[in-house]
Amino acid sequence: MASARSWQAEQRRSFLLGLVPALAVLTLVTIGPVLYLTISSLTPLNPTVPGSGWDFSAPWRNYATALGEERFLLSLWVQVKLSAVTVVGQIAIGLGLALLLDTNSRFMEAIRTGFLLPMVLPPIVVAVVWKIIFTPDISPMHRLLEWAGMPIHSLLSNGDTALWAVVVADTWEWFPFTMLMMLAALQMVPKEPLEAAAIDGANRRQTFWYVRLPYIQQTLAVTALFRLIDSIKAFPLIYVLTDGGPGRATEVTNYYAFVQTFNFSYWGYGSAVATLLIAGVLLLSWIILRFGGRGMAGADHA
Amino acid sequence: MRRKRHTWTSNIVAAVLLLLLLSPLLWMLQLSFRPADDVIAEQLLFRPTLENYTALWTGTFPQSFINSVITSGVSTVLSLLLGVPAAYTLARFRFRGDRHVALWILATRMAPPIAFTIPFFLAFKFAGLSDTLTGLILIYLTFNLALVIWTMRSFFAGVPRSLEEAAWIDGCGIWGTFLRVVIPLSTPGLAATGILCFILSWNDFFFALILTRTKAMTSPVAIVNFMQYEGWEWGKIAAGGTLVMLPVVIFTLLVRTWLVRGLMAGAVKE
Repeated sequence: MASARSWQAEQRRSFLLGLVPALAVLTLVTIGPVLYLTISSLTPLNPTVPGSGWDFSAPWRNYATALGEERFLLSLWVQVKLSAVTVVGQIAIGLGLALLLDTNSRFMEAIRTGFLLPMVLPPIVVAVVWKIIFTPDISPMHRLLEWAGMPIHSLLSNGDTALWAVVVADTWEWFPFTMLMMLAALQMVPKEPLEAAAIDGANRRQTFWYVRLPYIQQTLAVTALFRLIDSIKAFPLIYVLTDGGPGRATEVTNYYAFVQTFNFSYWGYGSAVATLLIAGVLLLSWIILRFGGRGMAGADHA
Repeated sequence: MRRKRHTWTSNIVAAVLLLLLLSPLLWMLQLSFRPADDVIAEQLLFRPTLENYTALWTGTFPQSFINSVITSGVSTVLSLLLGVPAAYTLARFRFRGDRHVALWILATRMAPPIAFTIPFFLAFKFAGLSDTLTGLILIYLTFNLALVIWTMRSFFAGVPRSLEEAAWIDGCGIWGTFLRVVIPLSTPGLAATGILCFILSWNDFFFALILTRTKAMTSPVAIVNFMQYEGWEWGKIAAGGTLVMLPVVIFTLLVRTWLVRGLMAGAVKE
C-alpha cells in the first residue's frame, strides 16, 4: 500500500515535470502580454510621449473614447457585415461541396485535396491572387466582362463594392474549413437511418433534411462559431486589397486597432480596442466550450 | 447501373467546380511565367519565361526566404520539444483545473494577433529583439505551442494505455516509457503536427510585418514590399507568391490525411 502511494506520488511529480516548462513558456508568451495589454489600455501610452505608459490618472478614458468614437462604431458595423456574410457563404459552399464529395472513391479523395488548397495557402498569397483578380489592367474577370460587353470599374476603389470584394476573397480562402468540418460530420452519420430512409423511399432532399441535418447540426453551429471568431482577425486581405478604404468602407475593428496603434502611435487607445476584441473572442470561445460538452468541442485550424 | 451514372456525374461536377474555384490561383501562376512586357497584353498565349524568378534572386528576396525557413523551422522544433511532453501529461494525468488549461489554450488560439503584437513590440524594443529572428521565433510560440499541446493531447488520448502500463510495471519510468513506447507509436501524429506548425509560422504575415524591418524580414513581407516600393511589378509579385506557396502546397499533398486531422484539431472531438 505504501509503495503504491509512493509510486503515485512519483508519477505525479514526473508528469508535472513534463507539463510545467510548456505552461511556463505559454504563460510568458500569452498571459504576460495580455496582462500588459490590459494595463496599458488604462493609460494614454504613446511611445513618443515619455512617461505616458505610467499615467493612470484617467484609467477609463480610452474605453470612453472608443464607445463615443464614430470611426470605432463604424468599424464594428463593417465587422458585423463582413463576418455575417462570409460565415453564411462559407457554410453554404462548404456544406454543398461536402454533400457532393461525401463518397470514398480515390478520385474524390484527390479532388478533396484540391479543394483544401485556399485554406492552407499563405494568406498573403491569397491576397495577391485576389489583388490580381480585382485589378482591371491584369484581371481575367475584367477582361471577360469587357469581352461580354459589360465592362465594370474597379470594385476595390468603389466604397459601395469594396467590402463585397473582400467578402468574396475571404469566403474563397475559408470555405475549405467548413467543407472539412462538414465532411467529417457527414461521415459520422450512422448508416442504419440512411438505409431506413432509402427503404422508405425518401428522396435526396428529404434524406438530407430529416436524417443528415439533425446529426450534423451541432458541428454546423460550432463550425460557424469558429469561422465567426476567425473572421474578426481578417488582416492580410484587407491590408493588401483595400488598406481599410476607400474611406473607411473596409476598416474592420481589428484593422482600426492596427491603424490607431501603428500609424497614429495611440498605443494606449489601440490596447483598449484590442482588449475589447479579446473580451469578445473569450465570450465566443466560452460559448464553444459550452457547446463542446455534448459531442463536439472546439479549438484549431491553420 | 443508375448508381454508376450518378457517380460519374458527381465526379465530373466536382472536377469542373475544382477547376473553377482554383482558377484565380492558376491565373497568378501563369502570370509568374509571363514576360514583363506581356503582363497586360491582350492575348492569352505567350512564350513562358523564368525571367520573373531569376529577377527575384538579385534583390532581398532570397534572404527573406532563408529567414522564413529558419524562423518557421526553429519555432516548430521548440514547440514540439516543449509541447509534446505537456500534451502527454494532459492526456494521461487528471488534475484539478485541466479544464481551465483547455480554455486557456483555446483562447490563445482564438485571440486576435494584435493583442500580442502591441506588448511584444514594446518588450522587443526594450530587450533589443526588434527585427531579429529570435524575436519572431519567440512570438510564433504563442500559436505553435498551443497548437502542439491541443493536437497531440487528442492524439495521445487515442494511443492505448496498456503498452505503457506494461512498461511501467517492468520498471521503466514515465518519461522512459514515453520515449521508448509512446513516441515511436506517435510518429504520424508528430509529423503532421510539426508540419502544421511549420505552415502556420511560414504563413504568418502580421507579426513579421510589424516586428521586422529589414534584417529579419520574412518572404510574405518581402512580397508586399514589391507592391509598395518597387512599383507594380506583377510578374515578380506573382513569382514571389508562387515560391512562397510552393512548400505549403507540397506539404499538403504529401500528408493530406494527417494534415486534415490537425487542421480540425479540437474542432472535432476524437
